Amino acid sequence: MKRLLIFFLLLSLTANFAQLDRSQKPKPGPAPEVKIGDAESFELANGLKVFVVENHKLPKVTFSLMLDRDAIVEGKNAGYISTAGQLLRTGTKKRSKDKLDEEVDFLGANLSTSSTSVFASGLSKYTEKIMDLMADVILNPDFKQEELEKIRKQSLSGLAFAKDDPDQIANRVQGALVYGKEHPYGEFETEESTKSITLDMCKAYHETYFRPNIAYLAIVGDISKSKAKSLVEKYLGKWEKKDVPKNTFTNPKAPVVNKVALVDKAGAVQSVINVCYPVDLKIGSDDALKTKVANLILGGSATGRLFMNLREAKAYTYGAYSSLNPDKLVGSFSASTKARTSVTDSAITEILAEMKKIRNEKVSEKELENAKNLLAGNFIRSLEQPATIANFAINTAIYNLPKDYYKNYLKNLSAVSVDDVQSIAKKYIKPNNANILVVGSAEDVAKNLTKFSVSSKVDYLDIYGEKFDPNVKKAPEGLTAEQVIAKYVEATGGKANLEAIKDETLKMSGAMQGMTINITLVRKAPNKMYQLVDFGVGQQKTLFDGEKGKSSQMGQEQELTGAQLEAMKIEATLNSYLYYDKLGVKLELGGMEALNGKDAYKVNLIYPSGKKSTQYYDVESGFLVKSSNTVESPQGAMSISTEFADYKDVKGTKVAHKIIQGTPMGSIELTVTSVEYNTNPSDEMFK
Amino acid sequence: MKRKLILFLALLGFVGISAQSKKISYEQYKLDNGLNVILHKDNTTPIVNVSILYHVGSKNEDPQRTGFAHFFEHLMFEGSPNIKRGEYFKTIEAAGGSLNANTNFDRTFYFETLPSNQLELGLYMESERMLQLKIDSVGVETQRKVVKEERKQGLENRPYGTLLEKMFSNAFKVHPYRWMPIGSAQYIDQAKIEEFIAFYKMYYVPNNATLTIAGDIDVAKTKELVKKYFAEIPKGKVAIVTPKEVEPVKTAEVRETVYDKVQLPLVAEAYHMPAQGTPDYYALSMLTTLLSGGESSRFTKEIKDKQQKAVQVASVPFALEDPGLFVAFGLCNVGGKAEELEAALDAEIEKVKKDLVTETEFQKLKNQIESDFVTRNSTVAGIGESLANYSVYFGDANLINTELQRYMKVTREDLKRVANKYLTKENRVVLYYLPKSMEKK
Repeated sequence: MKRLLIFFLLLSLTANFAQLDRSQKPKPGPAPEVKIGDAESFELANGLKVFVVENHKLPKVTFSLMLDRDAIVEGKNAGYISTAGQLLRTGTKKRSKDKLDEEVDFLGANLSTSSTSVFASGLSKYTEKIMDLMADVILNPDFKQEELEKIRKQSLSGLAFAKDDPDQIANRVQGALVYGKEHPYGEFETEESTKSITLDMCKAYHETYFRPNIAYLAIVGDISKSKAKSLVEKYLGKWEKKDVPKNTFTNPKAPVVNKVALVDKAGAVQSVINVCYPVDLKIGSDDALKTKVANLILGGSATGRLFMNLREAKAYTYGAYSSLNPDKLVGSFSASTKARTSVTDSAITEILAEMKKIRNEKVSEKELENAKNLLAGNFIRSLEQPATIANFAINTAIYNLPKDYYKNYLKNLSAVSVDDVQSIAKKYIKPNNANILVVGSAEDVAKNLTKFSVSSKVDYLDIYGEKFDPNVKKAPEGLTAEQVIAKYVEATGGKANLEAIKDETLKMSGAMQGMTINITLVRKAPNKMYQLVDFGVGQQKTLFDGEKGKSSQMGQEQELTGAQLEAMKIEATLNSYLYYDKLGVKLELGGMEALNGKDAYKVNLIYPSGKKSTQYYDVESGFLVKSSNTVESPQGAMSISTEFADYKDVKGTKVAHKIIQGTPMGSIELTVTSVEYNTNPSDEMFK
Repeated sequence: MKRKLILFLALLGFVGISAQSKKISYEQYKLDNGLNVILHKDNTTPIVNVSILYHVGSKNEDPQRTGFAHFFEHLMFEGSPNIKRGEYFKTIEAAGGSLNANTNFDRTFYFETLPSNQLELGLYMESERMLQLKIDSVGVETQRKVVKEERKQGLENRPYGTLLEKMFSNAFKVHPYRWMPIGSAQYIDQAKIEEFIAFYKMYYVPNNATLTIAGDIDVAKTKELVKKYFAEIPKGKVAIVTPKEVEPVKTAEVRETVYDKVQLPLVAEAYHMPAQGTPDYYALSMLTTLLSGGESSRFTKEIKDKQQKAVQVASVPFALEDPGLFVAFGLCNVGGKAEELEAALDAEIEKVKKDLVTETEFQKLKNQIESDFVTRNSTVAGIGESLANYSVYFGDANLINTELQRYMKVTREDLKRVANKYLTKENRVVLYYLPKSMEKK
C-alpha cells in the first residue's frame, strides 16, 4: 500500500514542471463590501403587505404571495388543505381551467398555487396580465367537484408511488415519530383521508384563510415600486379582510431514551437512516444562529464531520448530513444517511458518536473559523438572487426579527465562539433522546439494531408509521378469504379437474421416534373416508361412511359421536375446499405471516360447530402451506400444525408430497409415495 | 400567408423576439497550452464562479470500464502534492465557497462559487488538480465503495431507478451511450491505478479543458491570474480519443417490460433523434414543449387532465453531442393500464404527424421558448456553465445570446415533418415498468 503511494507521488511529480511556488495557497484579496439592498414596502388598506425589489438584469417579474397562518390539524381529513391549494389553480369564475392554462402558457408564464402561497412569474412585458391572472386565482376561484376528483385521483396515485420509495416512507414516518401523528407537522395523508375530502372543506379553507390581512406579497424583478403599487391596488385592493382563526398546540418533546423504529423494505440494498427528534428552537432567536454553526460542523455540508467520517473515512455511504431547523412552532433535529445494508448498525454507531463528540469536546478554532466562513459565503452567495432581499423583509415581519437582523447577520455570525458551539450542542444535540429510524431490509438489519434501543426493543412500523407485530402483516386491501381459496383451487388444478375426481387413494410413509409409519388414506365423494395408520408394531384405523364413523386401535373399537362425528363429515369430504360454502364453513382473512421467509395469507376457518382452524396459503404460489388447529385428546387440548410442501403434478392436479405434522410430542415427516384417482373402491371399505 | 399572419400578431404585441434580454458579454481566448478560457464580468454581487469543463464523459470510456469517467470525477477531489486528501472541499468551503462536480455522457464539469476576493484560490485549486493530481490507494478504495452507494441511492434502491439505464441500453447497441455515466459496479472494482493515470494524461489536459470565470472580476487582473496558474501546465502528449461509433438506423421497434417494486405502471418511449445543435434537433426540442410544456400542453391537457390516464406525463429531449433520444413518458394513475397510456401517448404523437399545429398554438410555443430563454441566465454559475457548454459543443459561446434565433427558424411544417421522420415505431424503444405482482409465473 505504502509503496504504491510513493510510486504515485513520483508519477505526479514528473508531470510537474512548475516554476511557480505552489506550496502556499494564495491569500484572499481585501474583503469585498457586502451590500444588502432594501426592499420597498407598502401596505394596502385591507392589510396586504407588499415588498418590492427592483432589479432590471432580466426582463422578468416574479410575484410571490404567502400566507402567514397558524398550523392546522386536519385529522381524519388529512390532505384537504393541500387539495384546496391545488384547486386554486383549476379555474376561476371568469376563466375555466382550460382558459386559464391557455392564457398562462401563451405568455410563457408560470402560475402555481399551494395552500399557503400563490406564485406567478413571466416576462416583464406581460407584468399586468400576470398580475391579473394571479389576482383572479386568489379572489375568484371556482372550486368544482370534477376538478376535486381529478386531484383526488392524482393524490391516490402519489400515495401509491410513495409506497415503494424509501425516502418518502422515511419522511413520512420521521414526521410521525418526531411530532406525533396528532400534531400538524406529524400528520399525513392516507388513502382513507384522501377519500374523505369534500369540496366544502376546500371552499371553507379558502374562504377562511385566503385573507389579505395575513398575506405577504413579494414583487421582484423588472418593475418599479410605483408600477407595482398601482397594479396591486388595482387587482388586489378589493380583496376583503377578515379575522383568521388562531391555533395553538402542545409541542412534542424528544423521547426520554433512545428508541429504534424500523420500517421493513424487503430486499433493500441500502438502509435509509435517520436519527431525529423535536427541538424547542425559534427562528431568529439568539440560539438560532449558533445552532447553525454547530450543525454545520456536525453535518451541515460535505466537509461536516458526518460526511468526513461516514463517507470519506468509512465509505459507508454516498453522503451523510444533519440539520437543526428552527421553526415558528417547533423545530427539529435530524442526522441522516443512506448506507449499504450490511453497515446499517455501524453507520448509526458513527452518527451517535459524532453527536456525542460535538457535545463533549470543544471544536477547534480552525474548524469554527471554517464553518463561519462557509456560512458567510452562503449568505453572500444568496444575495445574487434578488428574491433573497424580499425574503429577508418578509421574514423580518413574520418572525418579528430586529429590523437590522440581516444587516447584522455577518457581524453576529463572526461573534460565535468555540464555547458557544459547545454549549449550544449540549442543549440541542441529544444522542440519548433520539428516535433512530431505519427504512431497510428488516431481515438483514433488525437484530443489530436492538443495541441502540434502551429497552432492547425494535419497534416495527408500517409505511404509515403504525406499530405492528412483524410476524403478522396486513393482507392487501380488497382481498377476501374466498379469493385466497379460489386461487388455491386454481393452483391445484382448477375446479373442473378437481371435481372430476370421484375418489382418491393416498399412500404416505414417514418416521417418528425411530418408528416407520405407513398411512393409507382413501376418500370417496362426497364424504366417505378410510384411514389406516400402520406403526409396524400396531395399527390405527378410522372409517367414515358419510353418516357413521368409527375408530379402532389395538383391537379396541370406538363409535364416533357428537362433535367428533360432525367434524368428520367435513374432514372426510373429498377436496372439501371446493365446498366450504355448502358445508357451512365460514372464512375469514386474518392477514399475512412470513413462513420460512415467504409471505402467506392467513385464513381462519370457522366450522358449524364453532370450532376454528387456521390455514396459511403462500402468497406467490397460492398453495396451502400450513394448517393449525386444536384437537381434543386424552391428554387435553392439543395444538397440531401441519405443513404442506413439495407440490407435484398428479394427472393435472397438484398434490403436496411432503407433509410435516407437528404435535407437542414431536413431529412426523411424511412423504407421499403414491396418489391414485378414480379406482372406485367399494362402499363396504368405509363401513 | 404565414408571414403575414405573424406580422399581424406582432402588431398585437405577441411577437416572438421582443423581450429586451440584456446581451451577455464575455471574452474568450486560448492559452498556448490549448486551455480554452472564457471570462464573463458581472459586478452586481461580490461573488465569482470558476468552472472547468473537461471534454470527457462516459462516451469516451472503454466498454469494459463503464463508469470510469464518473469515478475519476470523484478522484479529482483527492488532492495534489500541495492539497492533502480530504482538503479539497474543506479549502473551498473554508473560503466561503460552494463546490461540486458532475459527469454526463459527454463531459465532466467542476465548479465552485466563491466570494470574489477568493478568485485566486479557486484558480489555484483547479490548476493544482489539472497539473498534478495525486491519488493514493486509500482514496481509490474509499471512492470505489462510495460510488457503489451512489449507484444504489440513484438506481437500485429507488422505484423506476433503472429507467434511464434500461432506455439507453435498449436504444443503443453500438454507440457508447449504451451505458450510463454511473456505469457498472463490477468495472469500478476492476479499474487499476495505471488506468487512472492513462486516463488523466489523455483527458485532463489543458487542450481538452475550458476554464470559465464568471462574476465580480477585473478582467485584466483575472487574465494575469489565469496565466499565473495555468500557463505552466503542459499540453497533453497523447492524442485524445473520441468515439467514432455511429448507431445504425433502427429498423424495428424494441420493447421491454421490467417488473419492479412499484405500484404504478410506467410507459416510456424513446425515439432516436439527431445531435444537439442540428436544425431538426431544434424542431424536436420545440415539439417536446408542445407536448408537455405547461398545463395547456398536449400530453398534460389531454392525457393527464382530460383522460386522467396519468399522474405524470412528460416529453424530454436528451440533448447530446452525438445523436440522442427524444423521450415521451407517462406514469399511470392508480388502476391505469400501461397499454392504454401508451395508446394515449401515441395518439397525441399521431396528431402532430397528421395535422399542422395552428398559428395560435405555434405562437404560444414560441412565446414559451422565448420566455425560458431570456429569463434563464439568472446566476453567474448558470451563465458560466452555459458559456462553456456552447463553446465546447457548438464552438460558439455566443449562442448564449443567439441560440433563440435557431428555435425561431423552426416552422410549423418542420414540427410536422420531424414528427413524421423521427417519431416512428421502428425508430423507438418502448419500456414498461410494471408491478412485480403482474409478472407471469
